[in-house]
Amino acid sequence: MSWQKQILRVNLSNGECTIEPLNMEWANQYLGQRGLGSKYLLEEMDPAADPLSAENKLIFATGPLTGTMASTGGRYSVITKGALTNAIACSNSGGKFGAELKAAGYDLLIIEGESDKPVYLHIEDDQVELCDADEVWGKTVWQTEALLKQKYLDPLMRFASIGQAGENLCRYACIVNDLHRAAGRSGVGAVMGAKKIKTIAVRGTIGVKSADPAKFFKIVNDVNARLTDRDEMSADGTLAMIDVTNRFGSLPTRNNRDIQFEGAEKLNPEAMQTPNANGHTNLVTNAACFGCTIGCGRICKIDPTHFSVKDKPQYHGASGGLEYETAYALGAAVGVDDIDAATYVGFLCNEYGMDPISLGSTIAAAMELFDIGAISEKETGGIKLEFGSAEALCTIAELTARGEGFGQDIGLGSKRLTEKYGHPELSMSVKGQEFAAYDGRSMQGMGLAYATSNRGACHLRADPYAHDFETTEIAGKAKIVKDTQDEVAFIDSSGLCSFPAGCGWSMDDYRQLVDAACEGEWDSERMLETGERIWNLERIFNQKAGFGRKDDTLPKRILEEPAPSGTAKGLVCRLDEMLPEYYQLRGWDDDGNPNAETRKRLGLD
Amino acid sequence: MQVTVKLFGALREFLPAGSGFNSCQLSIASNQVLGDLLSQLPIPAHKPYLVIINDEKINQQDYLSTNIQEQDEIVLLPPIKGG
Ligand code: SF4
Repeated sequence: MSWQKQILRVNLSNGECTIEPLNMEWANQYLGQRGLGSKYLLEEMDPAADPLSAENKLIFATGPLTGTMASTGGRYSVITKGALTNAIACSNSGGKFGAELKAAGYDLLIIEGESDKPVYLHIEDDQVELCDADEVWGKTVWQTEALLKQKYLDPLMRFASIGQAGENLCRYACIVNDLHRAAGRSGVGAVMGAKKIKTIAVRGTIGVKSADPAKFFKIVNDVNARLTDRDEMSADGTLAMIDVTNRFGSLPTRNNRDIQFEGAEKLNPEAMQTPNANGHTNLVTNAACFGCTIGCGRICKIDPTHFSVKDKPQYHGASGGLEYETAYALGAAVGVDDIDAATYVGFLCNEYGMDPISLGSTIAAAMELFDIGAISEKETGGIKLEFGSAEALCTIAELTARGEGFGQDIGLGSKRLTEKYGHPELSMSVKGQEFAAYDGRSMQGMGLAYATSNRGACHLRADPYAHDFETTEIAGKAKIVKDTQDEVAFIDSSGLCSFPAGCGWSMDDYRQLVDAACEGEWDSERMLETGERIWNLERIFNQKAGFGRKDDTLPKRILEEPAPSGTAKGLVCRLDEMLPEYYQLRGWDDDGNPNAETRKRLGLD
Repeated sequence: MQVTVKLFGALREFLPAGSGFNSCQLSIASNQVLGDLLSQLPIPAHKPYLVIINDEKINQQDYLSTNIQEQDEIVLLPPIKGG
């Protein structure tokens, strides 16, 4: 067990909600969450369809360990064709929503078709209804939750919602649950907006059973004891990385013109935890997702005297604060060293439903366009869009959130924006998705991981970190990237978070939890083959959507402009040398398509 | 001479008492090398870290041949994973 063996299917075109049995053959091959959701997506839709059309499907998928007592077992993923990328999208989130959906009795929620008027979905176990959303359409994520909690008089109801960014089809709109956790990347919120579904409100009371409870309890306790480095993660959160990449020279700064940021120490854990000149401390406390014993989340407050919020008391309370990726995108990427401005824009991202990585990186591209004169105040509506301007960052983020003025162009994402203004080379993206907080010149493995990631540039699709910090020599990197892509695909399909792997867990700890929770035997070979099967299935989706070797690449800046400083000064990413070896290790042909033998071995024909 | 040593991330738990959030001042004689400096810090042998001096990564085999200058900033980084 641990699977609920049920899916909920909601057809927005005809209003039907049906409960169906889960395809257990697929569950045994793809485990759950990312893998199983991707399998359903590929089977049920034409990958060539427009992501914003009724043909696209939006799948909320839990894993077998979601909602169990395993540490970090609260994850869910949203799988769809990405509005930002036109590739397969799988955005993973924590918080409590995923566990609630699972406790309501569902492994997957499949939303199909499109509604002709705004609606929301209300789920209480097997009671499911589509409701008119007039009262919440046009409202923020935060207002939507508050209004519906009040309506149902149920403080334990959980929500996954879009804000105005999703309604306005901002290409990187995200889906926000529990106020500040998000299925963030690839524009899954724009797909939800195109379908005109504002929120999923769920309450679950059924619970989750594991296949062998006694064994499961024992293993949960055993592996908890192996989270030996969790205190470090709860103390500083992911933000600890900013000092590492800045000193190493892999912190993308000013649209990757630089890879070290002179203002990084104004955004680091010390800055977050130390009172400023007004005696205000940004960090309030840490926070944990459902069942997590790490608690890497940051809960922060903006200095109420800061220019961004001094007349806006609604932003004076505590909410989800900066993590490493947001500190990069809303700080170093735009050259802004103002922790309050970055925190404010982070709040806007949660409130209006935008991916802060793509937002920050797109503003960075616009700042470079402004810097070289490709756009001016005429296009920006009078905003001096200069690197380093906290005022410009806050103003343009507000416009993007509301879909107004030049914010509409920023809402296109950096690829479409830079193409529109004649400089596509200035988009720091892969397959249309903006870089995360690492530079592929000083971290060669990450360069390969970005280029080959099925959902576009992503830092969470492989684990080349240790080797990249050790050496820039490329020998061995293709294998590390390939193997860890498969491992992460398995983790992302289990219902667990990938961060325990940085706090002491080995892959075998994840495997043991899955083995005890699910029916059948999950040995190490099956675990890795499942991960590999998932990776290849995603690749096949993308192949059918028109992607190939031409798309496994990086911006010219990373391939041709030498790293300007840091420990890898002078290097470019040697992607062309790593890619053929990677294809060979994967069992793919020269265009990067899984060959007949690979498809047969993995049961993908 | 006194040199500034910065210990980032989880390594800061090994800073001597009375240090700043991330950094401390350590004394080193002019004939001493990086290895002598590092031995003043109570970092357990099994904890890996990376040493960077003035943007240059120092490999472990060079700790005993790396001289330290007064103005050097010695940075120790933990090899953490991304998030
Ligand atoms: S480690 Fe962080 S992101 Fe992962 S489940 Fe725990 S709190 Fe959530």
